[in-house]
Parts: sequence; C-alpha cells; structure tokens
Amino acid sequence: MISSIVLTTGLLLILIGSWGILTHRNILRIIISFSLMGTGTHIIIVAIGYVKNGTAPIIDRTLDLSEATSRVVDPIPSALVVTAIVIGMAVTAVMLAYTIRLYDSKKTLSIDAFTESKW
Amino acid sequence: MIESIGSLLVLLGAIFHFSAGLGMLRMPDAYTRMQAGTKASTLGNALVLAGLAIYHPGWGLKLFIIVYFVLMTNPVSSHALARAAHGIRIPMAGDTDIDALRDAQRKAGGSM
Amino acid sequence: MIRRLSIVVAIAAFGLIFASLAISYTEQQSLRPLAESYVRRVPQELGAPNIITGILLTYRAFDTLGEVAVLFMVAASVGLVLGAGHPPRSVSSEDRPDEAWPSSEIVQSGAQILVPLISIFAAYIIMNGHLSAGGGFQGGAVIASCVLLMLLAYPQYQPNLEFLSIAESMAGALFVLAGIAGLIVAGSFLDTRILPLGQFGAFFSAGTIPVLSVLLGVKVGCELSVILDGFRP
Repeated sequence: MISSIVLTTGLLLILIGSWGILTHRNILRIIISFSLMGTGTHIIIVAIGYVKNGTAPIIDRTLDLSEATSRVVDPIPSALVVTAIVIGMAVTAVMLAYTIRLYDSKKTLSIDAFTESKW
Repeated sequence: MIESIGSLLVLLGAIFHFSAGLGMLRMPDAYTRMQAGTKASTLGNALVLAGLAIYHPGWGLKLFIIVYFVLMTNPVSSHALARAAHGIRIPMAGDTDIDALRDAQRKAGGSM
Repeated sequence: MIRRLSIVVAIAAFGLIFASLAISYTEQQSLRPLAESYVRRVPQELGAPNIITGILLTYRAFDTLGEVAVLFMVAASVGLVLGAGHPPRSVSSEDRPDEAWPSSEIVQSGAQILVPLISIFAAYIIMNGHLSAGGGFQGGAVIASCVLLMLLAYPQYQPNLEFLSIAESMAGALFVLAGIAGLIVAGSFLDTRILPLGQFGAFFSAGTIPVLSVLLGVKVGCELSVILDGFRP
C-alpha cells in the first residue's frame, strides 16, 4: 500500500518534470524540471525495493543478525540510488555552467534565442 | 489520547507546510515569497518533529537537537538569499515604498 | 499551437503508460534471491553491519570506481567551461555589491557557529559508513556544504584550489591502488579482505570499507568544493 503511494508520487514527479522541460522557455526553469525528473526516478527506484513490513537493512540493536533476511527491505535499489543522486547533482552543475556561458554570449535566458542547432 | 495530540501537532505542521507552498505560489515578488517559504516551513518542521516526539518519547532529545539546528540554519540561509536578491536589484512589488537596506547602505556608503 | 498540442499528446501518452505501471504493481512479500544472498553474505563475509555500504564498496565496488571517474570528469568539464582564464563577465563591477560590501553580520555569526558543527557532522557521517547509515558520498556532500557556507559568509575567502585538486587526485589514486593491492594480496580487484575483518560492529572492522569511505568522502568533498568555487563571479 505505502509503496504504491510512493511509486505513484514518483511517476507524477516524472510527468510534471517532463511537462516542465517541454513547456518552459527560461533555461533555469528547464534545469529545475530536469532535477525534478531525476528526483522522481530516484523515488521510483527506492519504492520498488520495498518488502511488506520490512525495515532498514542495517544490523544494530533493533535488528538481529539471525532475522535479517526475513525483515529487511531490498538493499540493492538503495545502493543504486546513492550513486544516482550524486551523478544527477554533478550533471546539474554542468548544466548550470553551460547556462552561465550561454547568458554571457546572448545576454538572455530564453531558449528561443539560441537557434544555431535548429535545422 | 496522548497520541491524538501528537497526530494533531503533525497535522498542524502539515497545514503550515502547505501554506508555505501556497504562499510561494501566490506572493507578488521574490522577497515576500522567500519570507513565506522560510517562516512557515520552519514552523511546520518544528511542529511535525514535536508531534513525532510525543509518539516516541525516547527520541525526544535527538528531535530537540534537530529542531535547534533547523532554527539556526533556515533563517540564516534565507537572509543570505534575500540580501543577494537585493544586491542584484530584483524589483520589489508595486506598492512597496520603504527600502531599509538601501537607505542603510546609502548612509554607510555616503559616510565612507 | 501545433507544439502545444504535441506536448499535450506526449504527456498524455506518458501518463497512460505510467498509470498502467502503477496499477499493475504489487508489493513484494519477501526478498528476491539476489537481495537475500547479499543480506546473508554481507555480515558474514565482510563483517559490516550496514548492508548498503557493504554492497557499494565490495560487491559493486567497480560501479563506485566508475562513479568516481564520472565525478572527476564533471569537475574537469565545469572547470573548463567556467574557468578559461576568467574572460570579462557580463555584469559590470558596480552591479556586484558583494565585492563592495561585506556579507551581513547574521550570516557571519551563523557561519562561526555552524562551520565547526558541520565539519564534525561530516566526519561522523564518513567514519560511520560501515556501522550505521552514512558513507563516503553523503559525507563528501556535507563537506562541500561547509565550504559553501564559508564562501557565502566571507566573500574574500579563497579556498586553496591547488591543495583541493591535489587532495582529490590523491584520494582517487589511492582508491585504485587499494584495488590493485587487493588484486596482489587477496583474491580480486578491490577485495576488502586485505585489511583484517575485526570484530563485528567495532570501529576498525570490515576490512577496507572504512578506509575506502574516507577516500570517497575526501574525493567527493574536494571535487564539489572546486565546482562551487568555479561558480563565483
């Protein structure tokens, strides 16, 4: 039940992010929409790994070693998402650097001004 | 009974968070939007964590420390953002006629 | 007009596909076979209570090495796009008052309290990567946020870029050297058994996982600090 709610939230975020990329004309808003899409994807990956009545895969006072395999959620999607979050942030940094250079060349942040790549 | 008080506090915090988002959408210019976002969401954070402390009394000290850190960092960051926005001369809303920072900077710059 | 229509059609098509995905999703009742074998083997063979960090730094350590390479490439490309000998920027200097005025007193006072706390917290997250939630990447991001606070509070602050670049490259090189040492001394590349496994749950345990966490944290922190410094006007 709860993982279905989280999954639907992630899918909604991807929809809103892709609508934002296609609609907005300001470059900074397009970058924010990319970040939204990335966050939605991470939420979906983590939600897939949920096991019914599971808990975090860390063995400490509350989770004993012997009952670990029956009570934890899937650790593999969480490990993949840790990598994905850092790479998504690095790609956002590259996009922002390109935005600064584009603004320096044409003095505007509207993407309609950059038509060199259109056929 | 005690748990319903905790649930009420969490619901109140959620209402404050929602009003923060609503304020960020509906406010006229950047400065009022920053004010809505920071103040309401900080209070919403504090209320949600207070409600959680009622559910788990053993976590009380840790949640209090978290609220303390949130209270220390949220206003400082929003203050830095607002000063930066003023510095690059983002226009204020139409009927604003008092600009205390510009007057203070003019007075200090004139005496330098 | 035709563009708005095609946008609506595309989003609606995506919405239909996502709806069918969300409806046909059922929760898992028990772990999949691969996950169950990882959960069983990480405490036994590696001695690490945190299963996710154990997976990231042993069974999937090659992916972590690939991510280290991606981060290095990103830092180099941001430096290339933004650096390049500082050509004249579009904003003239009287419109950049952060060079004319110091930052406000509130931010400076806040920075004086917060920078030590953030540094201690970053070190705590990195060192406890194998014991409870934490790890190299998370701690590195907190180190970068500490440097960002210093950049905001003291505009004359110049982080020593050469030291950061050297520290980042040394951390990456030591990571690969640890992998090669695993190839020579133990079974395979990036094997964590070159250091003793120790007692389960102790501070110095789980082979090379704490050492690799520290190297990852230093690398990510220095990299993000160099990227943040390149964004200054």
